[in-house]
Amino acid sequence: MLAADLDLLQGTLDLLILKTLTWGPKHGYAVASWIRQTTDDRLQIEEGALYTALHRMEKRGWLESEWGLSENNRRAKYYQLTTQGRKQLRAKAAVWTEYAGAVFKVLKTT
Amino acid sequence: MSRIPGLRRLMRIVRNDTGVARAVDDELHFHLEMTMRELIDAGMSPDDARREAGRRFGDVQRTRQRLTDLDRALLGQERRVERWNAFVQDLRYAVRGIRQKPGFAAAVVVTLGLGIGANAAMFRIVDRLLFRPPAYLASPNLAGRIYFEQTFRDKRAANTYTGYRRYLDLRENTTSFDAMAPFTVNSLAVGEGTDTHEMNLGVTGADFWKLFDVRPVRGRFFTAQEDRPPYGAHVVVLSYAFWQTRFGGRDPLGQQLHIGPAKYTIIGVAPERFTGFSSAPVIGFIPMTAQMGDANPDLKHPWYDTYYMSWFEIFARRNSTVTLAAANADLTRAQQLSFKKQATISKNLSSFDIARPSAFIGPVLLNRGPNEGKEAKVATWLLGVAGIVLLIACANVANLLLARALKRRREIAVRVALGISRWRLFAQLLTESLLLAALAAVAALAIAQWGGDAMRRVLLDETAPGPTAFADSRILIVVAALAVLTGVFCGLAPVLQATREDVASALKAGSREGTVHRSRLRAGLLVAQAALSVLLLVGAGLFLRSLANANGVRLGYDADRLLWVDLNARGTKLDSAQQREIRQSLLERAARLPGVEGAARVVSVPFWMTWEEDLRVAGIDSVSKLGDFTLQAVTPGYFSTSGTRILRGRGITEEDHAGAPHVMVVDESMAAKLWPNQSALGKCVRLNADTAPCNTVVGVAEDIRGSDIGKRDMHYYLSIAQFHPETGGLFVRTSAPAADHAEAIRRGLQPLMPGASYVTVTPLSQVIAGETRSWKIGATMFAVFGVLALVIAAIGLYSVIAYNVAQRTHEMGVRVALGAQARNVVGLVVREGLVIVLPGVALGAAIALVASHWLQPLLFQTSAKDPPTMVGVAVTLILVAVLASWIPALRAARVDPSVALRAD
Repeated sequence: MLAADLDLLQGTLDLLILKTLTWGPKHGYAVASWIRQTTDDRLQIEEGALYTALHRMEKRGWLESEWGLSENNRRAKYYQLTTQGRKQLRAKAAVWTEYAGAVFKVLKTT
Repeated sequence: MSRIPGLRRLMRIVRNDTGVARAVDDELHFHLEMTMRELIDAGMSPDDARREAGRRFGDVQRTRQRLTDLDRALLGQERRVERWNAFVQDLRYAVRGIRQKPGFAAAVVVTLGLGIGANAAMFRIVDRLLFRPPAYLASPNLAGRIYFEQTFRDKRAANTYTGYRRYLDLRENTTSFDAMAPFTVNSLAVGEGTDTHEMNLGVTGADFWKLFDVRPVRGRFFTAQEDRPPYGAHVVVLSYAFWQTRFGGRDPLGQQLHIGPAKYTIIGVAPERFTGFSSAPVIGFIPMTAQMGDANPDLKHPWYDTYYMSWFEIFARRNSTVTLAAANADLTRAQQLSFKKQATISKNLSSFDIARPSAFIGPVLLNRGPNEGKEAKVATWLLGVAGIVLLIACANVANLLLARALKRRREIAVRVALGISRWRLFAQLLTESLLLAALAAVAALAIAQWGGDAMRRVLLDETAPGPTAFADSRILIVVAALAVLTGVFCGLAPVLQATREDVASALKAGSREGTVHRSRLRAGLLVAQAALSVLLLVGAGLFLRSLANANGVRLGYDADRLLWVDLNARGTKLDSAQQREIRQSLLERAARLPGVEGAARVVSVPFWMTWEEDLRVAGIDSVSKLGDFTLQAVTPGYFSTSGTRILRGRGITEEDHAGAPHVMVVDESMAAKLWPNQSALGKCVRLNADTAPCNTVVGVAEDIRGSDIGKRDMHYYLSIAQFHPETGGLFVRTSAPAADHAEAIRRGLQPLMPGASYVTVTPLSQVIAGETRSWKIGATMFAVFGVLALVIAAIGLYSVIAYNVAQRTHEMGVRVALGAQARNVVGLVVREGLVIVLPGVALGAAIALVASHWLQPLLFQTSAKDPPTMVGVAVTLILVAVLASWIPALRAARVDPSVALRAD
């Protein structure tokens, strides 16, 4: 449970959500579970912040939403990437990779 | 999907603020429930699961609020985008529509453009005459022009012109006014030598500047110290335009300008467009005390202490703490005091109880007051006329749009069937008509600009170019408002028609199917158009007849062959012998100039300057009670010069020299008034006193008109040698229209003038033109608008008939196939046109008869119910209707039955 102490770097949450949605439309709960599972529970995100990020990105036009039926036949709000959202993902991923690479390089030179 | 009950509602996207909040709740609720279920599945108790789900989520309430805010902002954003997109889409649709039918669009734009443009142009004029206060006027609600009222010959009349003593009395004896200033526009000789021209100057007092909210752009304005009788300071404030043209904007302060007989020092420049209370441009402003001091150096009868000369008007601003009624009472009291003071000096003044003098502060704009000019009345009428033209144009455009909407029935029906909302359809059609109206507004501005200048020349007799329409926000607002109004109004009919359309029948029907769409609305519009056209054409006819009657009146002198030569002393002091001499030499020189048939000296000019003396006639108590008797004093040869016929006896001849017995020639009206049923010849008339020598009547001349073109003057002639030989000017008779000779004669006579004095030469026709102008304006403008209306109405009728014929092609085909002759088909169609126009003609004539009551006072010797005009207009309209339906009728007659029956 490293995550509770790990402050998410600014903008990282957006990046994770965008990446998550590249596998198709998902509702908020699915996005949260997916991130949790993929990171083996190491990155635990406050779900309130996750929803805020979803809605904020929708307002910016990176995502669009639609009500649909969930796997267990419940009414749920599905989010989906827009073209603009994909563009954002590419840009953010590039920056993040570069950043992480740089940090990693520093750490490796002991 | 819709088979599952309730699902549609479930899937509906939230479109309002409460919906947004509910959606956020639903979303969060779903999330928390899913988490709890997962935890319960993993073995937690429900209570623990709830707690754990909440912990993982964080602050639910705060998040909820944040999400709601975000979504509401998103919703607003989406709505704006949607509205904008809808608008762009409508606009595109409208542009596409216009592009597809450029002819149709051009017809609409030109029709509406003319209608709106005519209104904008008329508005400019009426605004100037009636609404717009003078530029820079401070608190227009408190400022006013002072009117004097008194009863004279049993009539109460208001007058604005007054003299300096009266002005001083009012200043001294009133307390309700912050500022009070005399104002008049004088034409004075400006410049030196050959560069001398008569130009208009504002002549006023120091308080004048307090009436305006105005600062000099250069220098200063004149002060009370510089404006004191008997001699004010010779200082001038230039107008901005004169400063620009004469000094090219260079510093003019301290320079001298020759105005009238004196040199004035330039002390300041007024801002642009400032003309004081003058409606026409002036070149500058000078103190009245300076101008009058120069013109009347004789201090035995000081100009500032007499009640007799009236040459200016008074403008004042009421103190804001004083009510209008109190100010008027104050003014009246002062005026009554002044009247009593005048009565102690003058014996001739009517008694106080009869005259009952009073005064009030009236509108600054003369045309708003009791003495409004005929131009203002005619202009107001014309604004109404322009409004009618716009109505006709609107009806026409509505008709065109309607026809188009009918043609697009199927397209519209398809759109409705595809689920477009009525509101969207409404917006779409309205956007189209508004776009057309906007284009028309652009055309209208161009028309207002071009036509407005032309109209101003006719209506206001102004030749100086006015401010451009484009720079004038009032015009822009009016044009924009009219464009929106007409856009909505014209668009409404087709919109209503289209949105009412029954989808199913429209989709099913071809043009052959079902009833022919002969819209009652369209026919109604045409009837209205025809009626309005009749109204305008009747107006045009009546004014034309008035003008013809006015021009046909025998004035009693040949106005177009006469020039009036006036002498201006300008600083040159002459004694009366010299005055006589110079006039004699001018007369002799004038008679010898080429193109001159005769010349004579005169002391008065019809319509411009009249002269009256108190007459005494044996057997008549008071001649002045019988009316106004005006006089003319002339040299021999006057009657052949003016063309006035002598009916009995003789004219003024050489034998009537100063030493000979005094003589008089009277006109018929005067003879009939003074000596009814007797011969006037040999009668004795004395001037001013019973002891004065007899003027024996030696001739009777024809009547002349010199005060009102509709009235014969009571006029008499004296020998100038026996009257005031040192005054007056000349009448010169030319062999061709006088205006052509004016300049040559001025050049011929000017060398005889001593010093800086000069002559002015004015064709008498110019004087008369001023008298007949209101009918000329009425005739011109009604005719222009009337023809415009007729053309628009004819186009409207043509388009409707053509459309009906096109719809009835099938029916015509059947008729032709059944053996109808071309002439029957033509008759059928033309009759249809007449059925529409005839009620219109009747309606228009009825309205014209009702309106005649108000139009009558504006006409000259013409009945407002003039039958030939009415009949002429009716015939014209019927002819136009026949012509307009003729072309579609011929087309109908040429229908090939085999084609028509196979079509559609």
